[in-house]
Amino acid sequence: MALRTNLKRLLNPRLLLASWPWLLLLAAFAVLRISKGALLLDFYAQATRPFWPGSAQREWLQKAQRFEDQRRIALLEAQLQQQQQHQALQLQKGPWLTAAVISRNIQGWWQQLILGAGALEGIRVGAAVTAPGGLLGRVSSVTPSTARVLLLGDPSSRVAVELQGKRGQGILVGDGTSRPRLAFLDKDVEVLPGDVVITSPASTIFPANLIVGVVQKVDFEATPAPEALIQLSAPVKAIDWVRVR
Amino acid sequence: MAIVLDRSRALFATGLLVFLLTLANPSLVQLNGIPPCWVVLWLLPWAVVEGPAAGATAGIAMGLLLDALQGSNLSSVPVLALLGFWWGQFQKARRPLERSTTLGLLALLGTLLLNGSYALQLYWRAEFSRAAWQTTLAQTLLTALIAPVMCSLLVLFWRRISPQYLQPRSPQ
Repeated sequence: MALRTNLKRLLNPRLLLASWPWLLLLAAFAVLRISKGALLLDFYAQATRPFWPGSAQREWLQKAQRFEDQRRIALLEAQLQQQQQHQALQLQKGPWLTAAVISRNIQGWWQQLILGAGALEGIRVGAAVTAPGGLLGRVSSVTPSTARVLLLGDPSSRVAVELQGKRGQGILVGDGTSRPRLAFLDKDVEVLPGDVVITSPASTIFPANLIVGVVQKVDFEATPAPEALIQLSAPVKAIDWVRVR
Repeated sequence: MAIVLDRSRALFATGLLVFLLTLANPSLVQLNGIPPCWVVLWLLPWAVVEGPAAGATAGIAMGLLLDALQGSNLSSVPVLALLGFWWGQFQKARRPLERSTTLGLLALLGTLLLNGSYALQLYWRAEFSRAAWQTTLAQTLLTALIAPVMCSLLVLFWRRISPQYLQPRSPQ
């Protein structure tokens, strides 16, 4: 049979010895795999620099950030004072950085963004990534000039969240769509479609009180505790610049 | 010597193209937000022309490349190596592969297998993708649609620069 002869020919030691350049190439690819494409990503970032998104949204983002800061100072001064002690550690992490999205994979088996800023700009693994609207995900790996963002919808994403007003705690579980599932920890939880979901102060990864999304549909029959579908508030499809801290 | 150099240059150029297409994910070539499986489209013609050993090797290399480009630790190496080896068996096919729709069918089955392996790995990791069927269908359809056009051209291209298909030069 052709298959057997082919197998026999494959395992011939002389053939293996003679094909050392190909084995060397394979080893190079293995190194590439182990580094998760670090070199390639940096190369990609440089090669596609002319095609990066324009700076209009970035300026808009910075302006929006200033407005947001002013409003917060005016409205939430008292509340901020209370939270200052609690957030002192997180504020020490430094200011928000802005970064361009240079590769986008928001549907399919994995959901990730590649940002055009990396370790050199001060982005670290585990940093929270947000956009106008709310939380997008967290940085899962960095290279000198790029950062890979694990989006909330990725099947391996798990984030501790709560309903605004300290009502129900839960875990936001990505399931490969743009609407992740919120699994509540408590059996009797008061939740209605339209409730706002924010990151939990119990989370060690994310700063507390970042807006994540809105409850769209609740399933009270789910075991062991109710579950809800969350409509994320940051439109990941349309976003070219993000904020990282 | 010149032929070998040409082929390695072509390998490098097409490999670079696969890498750029996979990362850049152009919205022109998407079905419901899902891109075609560029790796399968590259691997099929290469394996069909070069045989099982080169096919499996290229499958491993392309699998490692694809794994490097995504953060989750799903692996495509075993399936792509297997596909490269399987498609290499068609090297000795008597019918002219490049003129038939067989290439499309092979690409369809290959993409189906690759997506199936992703689903299986997610299942083993106790994770879950509600869009699994949607992703699989969209990617399989789009890949199989492009394959007959692109792969037949690539088959002809690889045959042209493959030493085993070159006519021996007549003495003078």
